[in-house]
This record gives sequence, C-alpha cells and structure tokens, in this order.
Amino acid sequence: MNLVNLLRHISLKHVRLQKAQLLIAVAGIGLGVAAMVAIDIVNVSVLRSFAESIDQITGRAALEISGAESGFPEALLERVQEVPGVEYAVPVIETNANLADGSKRALMILGVDVLQDHQIRNYSLTDEAADIPDPLLFLAKKDSLLLSKTMAEQEKIAIDQEIRLQTVQGIKTFKVRGLLNPEGPARVAGGDIAIMDVYAAQLAFGKEGRIDRIDVSFLPGEKLDPMMARIKQVLPQGYTVDTPAGRTRQVEILLERFQKNIAFTSTLVMFVGMYLIYNIISISVVQRRKEIGILRAIGARRSEIITLFFAETCVVAALGALLGIGLGLVFAKLTVGFVAQYITDVYLQTSVTSLTFSPAMFVRDAALGILASLVAAAFPAVSSVRFTPITAIRTQASAGDGFILSRKIKITSALLLALALALLAAYRTAAPGSDFRTTTVTVASAISLIVGISLLTPAFLQGAMRLFHRFLSPRLGVAGRLAGINLHKNIGRNGVAVGAIFFSISLYVCSANSMHSLNISMFDWIDSIIRADLLISSGSPLAAGGAHSIPMPASLGEEIEKIPGVRMVEPFRKGYLTYQNKKILLEIFDVALRMEYCPGMFAEGNREEVIRLMPGQDTIFINEGFAEQYNLHPGDTVVLPTPHGPVRFGVAAVAVSYSSDAGVVWMDVHTYRRHWQDTLVDTYELLVQEKSEIPQVRQAILDRLGQERHLFVLPALEFRNEIKKLLANTSILFQAVNILVLLIAGFGIVITLLASVLERTREIGVLRAMGMKKNQVAGVVIIESALIGTLGGLLGSATGLLLGWIAVEGFFRLDYGASIVYHIDFSAIAWAILLSTGLAALAGFYPARRAAGINIVEALSYE
Amino acid sequence: MIELRQASRKYQQGAREVYALRQVNLLINQGEFLSIMGPSGSGKSTLLHLMGGLDQPSEGEVFLDGKPLHGISDNELTLLRRRHVGYVFQFFNLLPLLTAAENVGLPLLLEGLPFSQVKLRAESLLQQVGLAERTEHRPDQLSGGEMQRVAIARALIANPAVLLADEPTGNLDSHTSEEIFLLLKGLNDQGQTIVMVTHDPKAAAYGNRILTLKDGAPVQDIAIGEQAA
Repeated sequence: MNLVNLLRHISLKHVRLQKAQLLIAVAGIGLGVAAMVAIDIVNVSVLRSFAESIDQITGRAALEISGAESGFPEALLERVQEVPGVEYAVPVIETNANLADGSKRALMILGVDVLQDHQIRNYSLTDEAADIPDPLLFLAKKDSLLLSKTMAEQEKIAIDQEIRLQTVQGIKTFKVRGLLNPEGPARVAGGDIAIMDVYAAQLAFGKEGRIDRIDVSFLPGEKLDPMMARIKQVLPQGYTVDTPAGRTRQVEILLERFQKNIAFTSTLVMFVGMYLIYNIISISVVQRRKEIGILRAIGARRSEIITLFFAETCVVAALGALLGIGLGLVFAKLTVGFVAQYITDVYLQTSVTSLTFSPAMFVRDAALGILASLVAAAFPAVSSVRFTPITAIRTQASAGDGFILSRKIKITSALLLALALALLAAYRTAAPGSDFRTTTVTVASAISLIVGISLLTPAFLQGAMRLFHRFLSPRLGVAGRLAGINLHKNIGRNGVAVGAIFFSISLYVCSANSMHSLNISMFDWIDSIIRADLLISSGSPLAAGGAHSIPMPASLGEEIEKIPGVRMVEPFRKGYLTYQNKKILLEIFDVALRMEYCPGMFAEGNREEVIRLMPGQDTIFINEGFAEQYNLHPGDTVVLPTPHGPVRFGVAAVAVSYSSDAGVVWMDVHTYRRHWQDTLVDTYELLVQEKSEIPQVRQAILDRLGQERHLFVLPALEFRNEIKKLLANTSILFQAVNILVLLIAGFGIVITLLASVLERTREIGVLRAMGMKKNQVAGVVIIESALIGTLGGLLGSATGLLLGWIAVEGFFRLDYGASIVYHIDFSAIAWAILLSTGLAALAGFYPARRAAGINIVEALSYE
Repeated sequence: MIELRQASRKYQQGAREVYALRQVNLLINQGEFLSIMGPSGSGKSTLLHLMGGLDQPSEGEVFLDGKPLHGISDNELTLLRRRHVGYVFQFFNLLPLLTAAENVGLPLLLEGLPFSQVKLRAESLLQQVGLAERTEHRPDQLSGGEMQRVAIARALIANPAVLLADEPTGNLDSHTSEEIFLLLKGLNDQGQTIVMVTHDPKAAAYGNRILTLKDGAPVQDIAIGEQAA
C-alpha cells in the first residue's frame, strides 16, 4: 500500500515533469518488444500456413514418401502398394508453372492419379457432382486441368477456356475442364493451384518416369510405427517416410536459422532499450538524490526506495510493452511475406493470408521486455540508497563518485573483460559442433565486453579529463576550461552520458565493419563464381517472388550452342537434398567446362584437384559450413541419398560459398544425371566469342527461342551488379537500427545535460552575476556536450572494432558457414567520431539555451 | 526518553581518525526542550543525528524510549525514525513536487495508510501551525516561514517521541524565526520533547536546558533557570 502511495504522490509527479524521458524509455522498450512479437507472429503464422497447406494437400494420407527433389522412379509405387496394411498409395507430382499470359503469375501444379486420388483428397467442383468430371476424359486428353475457382476469377478464366503455361517443354496450351471450390487442395498457395493427371504432369514438366511423392493411407486398425517400418523395408535407403507433420518439423528447423538473424536484431534493439532504461534511471537517481535522502530521513526504508524505482521501471516497461505489441503486429505484417517466400523457394508454395497470434504470446514477450527493463534498472536502483540520508540531502552528486570509480567496479569490469576474452578463446579453439562453437558463446562474449567497458566509462572519462586539463584546456578559453571542470566534477552523471554514446557508436562501428567485411568477401566471391558472359533462365534470376524459374530441357542447350557468337554453353541445376534431417543445397554444373573460366575460391584443396577428380566421377566438393559441421576434408567420403539409394561420394575440395548456411554440395552434371536421371537445367551460362558482341548474341537468343518460351537473358555483369546491390541493401536494416540507436543516445545526452544545467543553476547564476555572457554560458554547455560525444565516440569506435571482429568470426561465419576476412572500414570510424561529436553538440543546444536563459536573481537563490 | 552512554562518532580522514563526538553521556527526559549550542564543528549536528537515528555511534550506546539505536539494522533504524522521531531541517527539505498536505502526510503514507485518511490528519496539523489555507500549495508557493511550519507539521504527524530541529531558523529572518520558536515552545508546553541545535543564545533561551559542546564533547549542561541564576 505504501508503494501505491509513493507511486501516486511522488512518481506520477515526476512523470508529468519528465514526459520526454518517459516517451524515450517507452519507445526503447517498445521497439525491443515489437521485434520479439514480430518474430513470434511471423514464425507461428508461416508454420501454421505451411501446416495447413500440408494438411490440405495430403488430405487423408497417413504417410508421405519422398526422395530427391527432382523426383524418383515411379516403379517404387507398386512396391509400396503391395505392402500389407496399405489401403491406398497414390502418386503425386508437385511442381510450379507460370501463366504465359495475363498476370504471368506462378501457380502450383499438383499431378494426381485421377482414378484413385479422391480416396486421399477431397475435390469439390463448382458445378455438377463431387467427383472429377469424367476421369477417362482427363486420361485421354493430356491437356486437361482443373483450376481453382479463386485463381480463375482473378484471371477471368472460364471452364473450357484454354490457358497457356510456361513448362519445361516451353509454352504449352491447356484446357480448363473444371473449377475447384476453395476447399482441400484448392486452398493451397492462396488458391494459385491447378490439378492435372499425374502422367500429363510428368510429360509437361520433364518428369517422365518419375514422381515427387507417394501419399499412403492405411487399412483400418493399422498402426503408424509398424507401417512405417514395413514401407521403409521395401524402399532403397535415403527415402523419407514421414507423417505430413514431419514436413512441418523440417520447416521449423529451416526457420530456426532464419530467425536467428532477426532474433539477433531484436536482442540488439532490446539491449538498446535496456541501456536507455539504465541511463534514465541513473539520471533520475542523481536528480532525485536529495528527495531520496529526505524520504530516508523521515523513514523510508532502503528496500522501499529500491522497490519504488523498480515499480516506476515496471510501469514504463509495461507501457513500452503495450506499444511493442501494437508495433510488433505491424512489423509482422510487413515481414511475413519475405519469410513465406523463403519457405516457398525451399519447400512448398506458402502464402500467409492471416497472421496467427495469441494472448499468451503477447504476455510472454511483454514479460520479457519488463524483465529486461528491471535488469537494466537494477544497478542504479540499488545504488540509489548507498548514501546515508544526511549525505544524500546535503552533498552534490559528484560526492558520490567514489563508488563508480571504486576498486570494486574496476575489478568487476576487469573480470567481465577477462570473461569476454576467455569465451572468445573457447570459441576459437573449440571443435566444430561443440557447445562452445555457437553464436550463444560469441554473443555472451560481446555482451561481457560491452558491459565491462561500460563500467569503465567513468574511469575513462576521469582519465581523459586529466589529459584534457593538461593539454587542451589552456588553449580553449574560459568556456572550454569550465566545460572540462564541469565534466570532471560530475563523473557519475557524465559517465552515463558518455556510456550511452559509447554504446551506440560501438554498435555502429561494429555493424559498419562487419557489413563491410561481409560485402567485400561476398563481392569477391560473386566475382569469382559469375564469370560467364550471359545467363539464361526462364524466370528472372533476380526475382524474390512472382514468376518462378521453370527448368529448361538439356536439348535447349544444344540449340543455344548453334547461335552465332556463342563460344560455350554450360548448364547449371540447383536442388535440395535431405542430409541428416537437414536440407542442403545441391548445385550441379559441368565441372570441366566451368573450371576453364571460373577459378572459384577454395578453402581446402584446389581447382586442379577438382578438375582431376570430378568430371563424371562420384566425387563432389563441399562448402566450409558443410565441412565444418560434419568434420570433412579433401580425401574424406560422404554418403548422399539418390533416387536409387545412397551413394558414397569422395570429397575433392572445400570451397568458400555464401549460398546457404545449411551446407552446399557441388557435383558434376554427368555424375548427377547418372544418379538422378534428371536432365533439366535451371540456368544456362554462356561464354561468347567476342565480348563486344554480347548484346547481339543476347538478341539472337531471344529472337530464336523467345517465341516458344519466356526467357530471361541477362548479361552476367548486370546480374553481378544487381546481386551486389541486393547485398548492400540488406545492410540497410542494420543501418536503420544504428541510426535509431544513435538518435536515442542523442536524447540521452539531452536529458543528461538538462539535469546538469538544473543542478548548476546557482553556479550559473553566480557566473552570470560576475559578468559571464549568455553565449559564453551556452558555449560551456555545448563544449561539454561535444566532449561527451567525442569521448564516447573514441571509446565506442575502439570497442566497435573488436565487436566487429567478434561478429564476423562468431556470428557471420557460423551463419553463412564460410570464412569472412575482417576488413576495417576506416571511413566508418571517422564518420562515427564526427557523428558522435556533432550529434552530441547538437543535443547540447537546447540545454545550452536553458542555461543561458536562466534568470540571475532566481538562480542565486536557488536551493 | 533519550539516553547516550559513552557515545562517540569518528570518521576516517585519510590516515587519521577524527572524532566528531567523543564519549558523550547524556540523558534527556520526556517533556524537556533541550538546546544544543557550540561553535562550528563542535559536533552539534552529529549529536542530533545520533539521537534521531540518522546515524549510528562508532562507540557507545544510544537509546530512544528504551530502544537501542546502536547495533541495529538499517531497516529497524529507519522504522524507529519513521515512528518515533520528527525531524526539522535548516533548509526545510520539503519535496518540491508535493503539496503542503502531501509533504506533511509523507510519514503516514510510508506506513501505507490511504491518503484520504492521511489528508485529514495533515490538514489538522497544518491548521495547528497556522497554515489551514495553504494545504494545496507547493513549496515554491510558500514563504520560508511557511515552509518551516509545514516541516514542523510533518515532523509531528506520527506523534513522535521527540522532535529534533537542526538550526530550524537558520534560513529565516528574525521576525519569522521568532514565530517558529514560539511555535516550538508551544508544542513543548503541550508535552512534546524537543531537541534543537542552534548557535544563537536568544534561540536557546526558548528551551529549558542548554547543552554546550566543544570539540565533540559537552562542556556545559545547565537548566535555563540555573543559567539565569
């Protein structure tokens, strides 16, 4: 009850006076909570949509059997159908196509056995009866398909109308035999789906003799585990037999890595919010020292004062959490599309039509935000009662600097710095896959470093001021000398402001240097792997959504080779393999041709070994992430699943690649075609006879082949530049966070200096009475402010350099699975110091005006 | 009421120990109005702080109404302060954001009583000190004398065993000072035990006993009647 009294009669009055501080604190916590809420909502929404899509597609299937992404022999279907206990086993082709006309949008194609599929899935047609119209007609006419009513309405397509689809065989015409109501499979992919006969789909999409999946239902009474075991026995090794829910689990694993990036950003933002709370509570403690002394003198216990500050923090954090929940919903809406597209690219067309969230999710994230705020407020709250009541009433704030400059603080700081270094050393020396080789360890190291140096900020300020007095102060006139004295007089309060700038500048320099390093490494890599003159695909190679790339037949390469000016045509195919329950990227090209003009970047082994060992052989090369995760080196072997069973491949080399964080395997196209019987091509890479003829060759290709299929023919230089632009744009998010952090630090300086001006009211009155001009008074405050900014900038830049190295080594390396060389961006450091000084000086303008405008008579009698 | 036995308070100044108070033995009875005098640095305020639980002796013992103020936890000391001591400071030490009624009621608000109840008592005390019309005024809207009256009312709200005043008129003009002394005298006449630190002999004369300190130790302790004699 006394807490309520104190909150109502004391805290509330402070809030009314310090609305700006309150708003900043609320905003800081709000952003952190918003990021957490957005991650949770996006995660749950995408998974739910994916799971719903799976349910809608798989219908009554109890098990799904899948193999390579390019499909597996349909002969396996019979084996599964003969397994005792199987009621129905139906084949499925699951692929994508693009409309050749109209919006040219992508749609999912489901190829099913029209005679049997209704035993697994329900189809509801807009007209007539429940069954697929005349299955025999479907079988007889290979151009038949059923379109979802949703898509038909959007594209204005009617029954019996012909539509053109981009397929592997080029642009083909199909007839819409019926429209599906938005139920069951027709709801998948937001309704962008068509159903075909499975054999017609095989022909249209280059999967002759192959299927993508077998959906299985059981006879009544059969149990899942025994059925699974029986079915696995009839299949070669390497096939996945799982419940439909198993696919959702795979996506969860996939999303884990994706979310790590966003979680890191949200932790960063939350950290900023925490620092803000720490800053604001620290300044509040300083400003209210006398009030605390009076309350203690008349009988407020230490615990009651500490609880009061915690309660105030709780209220602010709760407001921030409420704001964060609202913002989080907005952020989720803006970002869910990107995540859904990522899942679509790897797994299955997924579109999120509505966000999924729950009160429990909001409560948890709000609680985390409040807890983080309480942690941030702990030190200043506890330190608020370290003075005796009389000391607190009588003395100026600077008298309390002994604690923050004490041995205890310095020892704590030293221990934290030692911990940071120890964690880094543990990370560097740990074996791949061990508990110490994780981002948790590197993040813990970074946090220890930041907190350790933060605790040293007052001592740093004290040391810097000594140097300032000795070397700079005599050159700066009265205003400069007074500014230095004022800063030195109140190390506690000014140390917090320096700390705020230090924190934000260290984040800025860290992200600038790590992004700079990442960009240089990735640009070098892109330049090393994209060496062709022209790239040909059937969908834009730069498209993140919209038109999907439809594979092209191998025969197209032969036609392209005949075009005048073309020197060499090399096929490129991409797919995913499941290796030890994780999706890894499989890239296929003609090694002998590629290595002629493309040196690549090798971490272990070399180009010559690759040329010697790979063409047509069961040999691969892998990326660093894959090598590190499974402890593989050149000369080792790895067993990969193929449609005909597992095959042992030798490892020729380990290459640098940033394509996938889960692992990349490169294989020669002849080896791939031998094992997978897949001759499709995703991209053709061309070399021309004369570089000057690239535009002419490009046009010739479009003229010759552009009628029968939509092709994108892109000069590789243009493609490289566009990729680099995309990469550069990804750093915009970090820059936005940095700017936000800098702005918040700037507000922190305004608050600090206003507090300083208030405390020195009488002193300013005396100076003015003795003849100091208004602009001189203002000058003192601005110089103080600029000094705070410069010192924070210097300390922050030095720390940021180290943090950048930690980020590159411990975060990006684990994230991309590839070595990234640390490059220092000196211009960013120069900007950081200029920015911190300039921003701080700017932040000092308002307090400087307040100081200059103080009424002399009132100031002299100020208590 | 208040008893000190061989009470000392020392501080560390660099390598040496400095005694602000040295082996003080003192007994203050209920209803007394004790003035503590002495030159600057004689230990007057330190003695007051020990009596009021704002500080603890380095050596010796201090008792308030039989309860020890030495060797107890900060929590216990704080509660004793809240319930048994009323403090009046030289610079008033009112909370600037609170109204007069809220300032007066602070000790009871700390006990957790509802403000509606506290306000009634606060207003009654403000009336007693002549500030019935000022209950909703904040300190920046009051004169120095009015602020000190509010401070006195605050010191009385918990019915303390003793009211301790540290140079209560140090910041006031002579006319206002006299009003404050008369107020304190009136309270003492009603039975309130008062201990007042002052450097002004005229102020000390409002009490009924004068204790003079020099260099941290009592040098004279006389009843006002004796002094007159």
